[in-house]
Amino acid sequence: MTSQAVSYQRALSYQRYVRNVAIAGATVLLLVWTVFPFVWILLTSLKSPGDMLSVPPKFVFTPTIDNYAALVIGEQRGQYSSTRPDFPLFFLNSMIISIGAVALSVVAGIPAAYALARFTFPLKGALAFVLMSFRFVPFIAFVIPLYILYQQVGLYNTHAGLILAYQLITLPFTIWMLRSFFMEIPLEIQEAAKIDGCSWFGVLARVILPLSLPGISVTVILGFMFCWNAFNYPLMLAGRQTFPVTVGAIQFISYEQVLWGQMAAATIVAALPQLVLSLMVQKYIVRGLTMGAVK
Amino acid sequence: MSTPRTRHWRREKALPYLLLAPALVLLAGMIYPFGLGLYYSFTSYWLQYPNRFRFVWFDNYVDLMSEPLFARALEFTLGFTLAAVVVQVGLGLAVALFLHGRIPGRSVIRALMLLPLMIPPVITALMWKIMMASTNAGILNYMLSFVGVDPVNWFGSTQGAVASVLIIDTWGNLPFVALILLGGLQALPTEPYEAARVDGAGPAAILRYVTLPLLSPFLVLVVLFRTMDSLRIFDVIYATTQGGPNDATTNLHIMAYQYSFQWYQMGKGMAQAIVLLLLVVIVSYLLMRLWNRASESTS
Repeated sequence: MTSQAVSYQRALSYQRYVRNVAIAGATVLLLVWTVFPFVWILLTSLKSPGDMLSVPPKFVFTPTIDNYAALVIGEQRGQYSSTRPDFPLFFLNSMIISIGAVALSVVAGIPAAYALARFTFPLKGALAFVLMSFRFVPFIAFVIPLYILYQQVGLYNTHAGLILAYQLITLPFTIWMLRSFFMEIPLEIQEAAKIDGCSWFGVLARVILPLSLPGISVTVILGFMFCWNAFNYPLMLAGRQTFPVTVGAIQFISYEQVLWGQMAAATIVAALPQLVLSLMVQKYIVRGLTMGAVK
Repeated sequence: MSTPRTRHWRREKALPYLLLAPALVLLAGMIYPFGLGLYYSFTSYWLQYPNRFRFVWFDNYVDLMSEPLFARALEFTLGFTLAAVVVQVGLGLAVALFLHGRIPGRSVIRALMLLPLMIPPVITALMWKIMMASTNAGILNYMLSFVGVDPVNWFGSTQGAVASVLIIDTWGNLPFVALILLGGLQALPTEPYEAARVDGAGPAAILRYVTLPLLSPFLVLVVLFRTMDSLRIFDVIYATTQGGPNDATTNLHIMAYQYSFQWYQMGKGMAQAIVLLLLVVIVSYLLMRLWNRASESTS
């Protein structure tokens, strides 16, 4: 081998080395950017007030579960703070409202999606447009009149009122998603069922629903997650008895002070169901977030 | 008298409406408050002074336009949207192209990227609020000190507040852009790439003349979604700066909230909301036309 060829070989392996280092560096950067906030908040939630304020910030310390205990029993609240976040109640509220909202949307959404997927009728296009157009409206345009209406009819600060308001989040989404899953079922299967004497209900109950069960589960889980994330509707329409975790977590910021440790613990608890669920439905999240525009 | 056949036909015709009925009832329950709100936007509805309720035509809209804060809020809304879309789509494209290459542990990174995307935006904001504490105990300022950046007053200074909202929004939404574009990249046909390679095109030329044009429907789609949501960003600003300092991070949405839920001027707040809605609709319409053109040209 000539010396020229050797140096060429060396240059090539050097280039490959630089490339690998760059890839490793970029990977680490991306991972740190994505994961570090979670790690840091988890650490913060395990710190005692003294460790919290230490300069420089501590990575190694004696962990304490005081902040989580305070979330559960409501102790350790600020000395001057008049508010006392009741986190177990907020968690329960989030569950009730999210499950209620998704259940209502699925019950109303399945027949509607079936109609949109399998029938042609006048105004079908207009209806599809109306459903889609909810995606454009700033929440405040709904929440102002809802606030006034709810005060008048007694839905303000009730689970039922919030479940109804959350239909703005879940109903168009549910119908749109279910329709896209229903449309994936080949028409031939439906026709065969009809020939075998199935009515429209039989087709829905015995063909469409069983075949799209995975799609329905995905829709339910994603709908639940969107409800869990909701913040601005309950901020205005809920009161202390009906706050979900998202509004509850912000209660740790009071006029006098911010309860950093408890807020960190609250954010971990509020994010936890989402972390678990998003890994369960990871293949479908993009589809859900674009209402079926990207599969 | 109708024959069985026509009766059957009639039932068939009514069936879709019956199926839709429950959803339509709920839908009506959404459209009604919106209509009511639209009506309020033409009135002087002030919650504390019900006696002053009058129909004032376009007074609220005219008042808003002459409000000095409105111009600043509009400027921030548009400026923030532009910055957020450019930063997020730019970085998101870079991340997508990076993950499209053969990277070890790609599926793990992809799964981890879903986490910022799916936790509540207000929780994201609170997490960063903890990290962005302007005291020396704030981890972000501490980390920045290693690269020679002086402590930033994140929520207390104008530039710091704008930057923090942009950073927080980007952390939460970069995965959305990256995952859609990654999905797009993986769905691209392979023939154009082979043709380009035969023609001797380098990586930069392939990116510029093959990948980006083919990816354009996905690019326009993420721009559309990110634009719509950036124009209306609320949760992050509410949980961090509340529009401050000195209204530096007050966008149209925050301003509408202040009118309606701090000063209880429901009429004015609603007028503001309608202006924001019109802005979102107009911008989205333009982007959708672009999307149609992009999907037509590639298909």
